[in-house]
Amino acid sequence: MGSASQTTSEVMSGEAEAVAEEDMIRAQVYGLLAGLLMAPPCAGQLEAFKKLQGDQSEFGQALSALGELARTTAPEDIKDEFTRLFYGHGAGGELHPYASYYLTGFIYERPLAELRNDLAALGLTKSDATSEPEDHIAFLMNVMHDQITGVHGQPMDLDAQKTFFDKHVATWAARFFTDLEGAENAAFFRPVGAIGKLLVAIENQAFSIAA
Amino acid sequence: MTEQSNDKAVQSRRAFLKGAGVAGVAGVAAAITAVATTDDAEAKSVEAPKSSGYRETEHVNAYYEAAKF
Repeated sequence: MGSASQTTSEVMSGEAEAVAEEDMIRAQVYGLLAGLLMAPPCAGQLEAFKKLQGDQSEFGQALSALGELARTTAPEDIKDEFTRLFYGHGAGGELHPYASYYLTGFIYERPLAELRNDLAALGLTKSDATSEPEDHIAFLMNVMHDQITGVHGQPMDLDAQKTFFDKHVATWAARFFTDLEGAENAAFFRPVGAIGKLLVAIENQAFSIAA
Repeated sequence: MTEQSNDKAVQSRRAFLKGAGVAGVAGVAAAITAVATTDDAEAKSVEAPKSSGYRETEHVNAYYEAAKF
């Protein structure tokens, strides 16, 4: 049993199938977005966000902006903002962070069904702990994170990551993140939208180089 | 792709990603990925050095489970 979990770390430090540093960083950005979009940040997360400091690139500046807002925004204000942005489909939240909604105008439509098929093929089923459908943006960010790091087994190769990304993320996520960045109720979440939008663009380009 | 052209593509992809500014997340990586990881069982068994609020976010870790075969 121990050998199964060791395989990943061996692979990571090995040559051919290593999870390279740049891929671990991609995974971390996906993880950051998943954490931010599923629920309001807890105290521990906020402490971590306060340390965000990017470089002079557009992406780096969005990270820095988020760090600055984490340092200056009251946690309860972030929570209120999260509620106004995302609280339940049809329950007054400004945004609808679901692939099905963005692609068809309705939730629980065919894009969700297709996603469920593809997740099943990857051996993933939704846990009972969330009532959100699988095409929620946070869920998809999490799947990308796990495909890169191999939390559920071997890391997936770039071709497989690209296939999933092209079908389930690239088709709509940039539009959602643009909406988030410009949302009436967004302040803390404005740079989150920017980070997501830039990540999708960066991934599109990076996949076209090597996958 | 041949081995060589594949190697070249990997190198230019690496250079592109490094130039894109994504490395800025590295400083907070440990805290963030601990929160975002989806492996429920593993997340629960983690000795939490950042235990302040860890329990609050446990549901965040539970999007899905690996199907049992």
